[in-house]
Amino acid sequence: MVVAPRHGVVLAPRAGSTGRVGRVNATNFEPSTGGLLGRGPLGKLGELWRARELLSQLVAKELKVRYKSSSLGFLWSMLTPALMTVVFTIVFTRVVPIRIPDFAAFFLAGYLLWQFLQNSCQGAIHSIVGNGDLVKKVYFPREVLPLSHVLAQLIHLLLALLVVSPYLIVTRGVDVLLYLPVTLLTVALLTVFVAGVAMWFAGVNVVFRDLQELFVVIFLVWFYATPVLYPLALVRAQLGADALLVRALALNPMTWFVEAFRTPLYGAVRETGAAADAGLALVTSSGPALPSATVLAVCLGWALLTFLGGYTVFLRRARTFAKEV
Amino acid sequence: MGRRASSRPAPARVDPVAHAIVVDGVTETFRLYQERPSGLKERLYRFRRSTYTDFDALQDVSFTVGYGESIAVIGHNGSGKSTLLKLLARILPPDQGSVRTNGRVASLLELGAGFHGELSGRENIYLNGAILGMSRAQIDERFDAIVDFAGIRPLLDTAVRTYSSGLYVRLGFAIAVTVDPDILLVDEVLAVGDAEFQDRSLERMRRFRDDGKTIVLVSHDLAAVRDLCDRAIVLDRGRVAFDGPVSEGVELYRQRVATAHVPAGPRWSGSRRVAIEQVLLLGADGQPVAEAPPSTPLTLRVRLRASEFVEVCSLGMTVTRGDGTHLYELHTTWQGVAVGPLAVGQEATVDVRFSAHLLAGHYSIATSVTDVNGRETWAVVADAVRFAIEPAPGGAGLVDLAASTSVVEGPARRLGDPGFTGPIPLPRLQRRRDAAP
Repeated sequence: MVVAPRHGVVLAPRAGSTGRVGRVNATNFEPSTGGLLGRGPLGKLGELWRARELLSQLVAKELKVRYKSSSLGFLWSMLTPALMTVVFTIVFTRVVPIRIPDFAAFFLAGYLLWQFLQNSCQGAIHSIVGNGDLVKKVYFPREVLPLSHVLAQLIHLLLALLVVSPYLIVTRGVDVLLYLPVTLLTVALLTVFVAGVAMWFAGVNVVFRDLQELFVVIFLVWFYATPVLYPLALVRAQLGADALLVRALALNPMTWFVEAFRTPLYGAVRETGAAADAGLALVTSSGPALPSATVLAVCLGWALLTFLGGYTVFLRRARTFAKEV
Repeated sequence: MGRRASSRPAPARVDPVAHAIVVDGVTETFRLYQERPSGLKERLYRFRRSTYTDFDALQDVSFTVGYGESIAVIGHNGSGKSTLLKLLARILPPDQGSVRTNGRVASLLELGAGFHGELSGRENIYLNGAILGMSRAQIDERFDAIVDFAGIRPLLDTAVRTYSSGLYVRLGFAIAVTVDPDILLVDEVLAVGDAEFQDRSLERMRRFRDDGKTIVLVSHDLAAVRDLCDRAIVLDRGRVAFDGPVSEGVELYRQRVATAHVPAGPRWSGSRRVAIEQVLLLGADGQPVAEAPPSTPLTLRVRLRASEFVEVCSLGMTVTRGDGTHLYELHTTWQGVAVGPLAVGQEATVDVRFSAHLLAGHYSIATSVTDVNGRETWAVVADAVRFAIEPAPGGAGLVDLAASTSVVEGPARRLGDPGFTGPIPLPRLQRRRDAAP
């Protein structure tokens, strides 16, 4: 382990020493005193890297505990998206039709992403408060607690993608496989983004417990403000590209992630140019395609910004977790 | 490191790497809310209701611990012991001052804190090991040692929620001590588990100490403290009240306990209505003594002076052994004797005559003046006199039972002096007792 200068393991010879004090294969976590990247080897990120074993154990715990005593195991986590897909597909193809090809595939390609965000944050928000005993008694980098939820949900997302991919291939064509690397890149960017959001929720909830009550409302609003149920192109087609609502949607980072994720899995949705009252479909979609570089760049920007912001807030709060939990 | 810590100059008097632990001017403040303002409504109203008080759990605490030293931190509940340990374990950053530790720190603050009930013993060993900072390879290497120490091999693949609480703690301890730290922080965890496990964990701690590790032990088990530690720090309301040899520290703490009142005992009254002017321990010849043979008649002479008018009061004495064992307590009222009335400034002298039926050791007497019901304490002197009982043949232990022996049937022999006709003295066991751990 590389040692931060202020808390270094010291090679101090000492009378009667067995020589073990000086050993530098220290395993215990040494809190970095600097910021995210400041002081010590890469500061907090270095510390986080040294805690990777703990992180993987916590992720394993998360997954094991969840499915330990259930007979259906992982399939349970597919049940919600499956039911949601059925319900929304019925509603939005029969009752209030959104005329878009393969609505179920369209919805799933966005909803899995949304679930990843929501479930990660839901786990993370309780991760510090719920592990109060641990936080008060043992030092370890606290961010592993929310991050373990994010990574566990990431595994769920990847497994879910595996499960739905046959359906996507059948409905949208084998190009889905061709663009798999882009899908995974988007997932990676999204994970960084979600990690930032999850740490923010975890950290702020310790001092502001109302957050967990507000959580449901926040995520409900956020869900409808994200083009998961409806294509962004439809909003544009109906309101015009410069409408306030369209601009507002563009401010929502999840809009960009959903677009970036959906394009290689489902395809790009674009306006047909038909008039709104002509009774024709306003939007149509191509097969799976590459998301534009702009979309990916915006996602990258949001991911880094949110991660650094969320992490910074979390670390500032983390100093006093042991007093406040 | 505290917010202000980085701006503080490094302590000039101590070389930071020459010690295992350097605590410099640490103050830790807790904000005690009457009603925790963690909700939205409270936040909105907070500007007009500041319903908290700041409480300094530690105030300007400074000390250093050398490599290989084992120190005990003792004090009443709420004196800041656990907070100090959390600072050393870096669970809390100091609000002021700095804490520096050189070496790997392992803390046994709560055993099994990271266990998850649904996971098996095996899984929890890996999880808990990872929480303590061990890698998978390191746990693999020590896995058998952990399992054997905890004695859970048959239950390895059972969910730990089915474990007994003793087993739970044993497993937690077994994992924690395999971290192989340079500095071990222990908080009262030895108080759990059965006697056999306590012995084993004490043994384990001794091995740590003998390996030259630095140990910081927080415990109310004064016997364990004396056994394991060379040095004691006594904390009193967040301040270092004493820092020195363990025997003195333990004694001081014991007296504080004896005088600082268990809830049922006399309450300290703010008004010191009586002052204890002088306390003397006199031998049979009327001269002050510091050492006496067993079962000599002794007199405790206490001179009081009333600071204000006292209708009636009672003088009390408490005899404790050096390690704080409470041996004897007496209040004059128990014998139907009281002092008073005393005018302002009037003095009184009370003699308590007693026989110290004690065997070799160091003893201490605390004196106090209370009201006749023993509800209010008006004056107290902890450790008013100390005396030693000289080693003498005739018995071993704590109490001199003044035994005599005779062989009532069968042949008897007198050992040693052939002209000796009195009761045959028992061989001195003192040496053996001293040699015992």
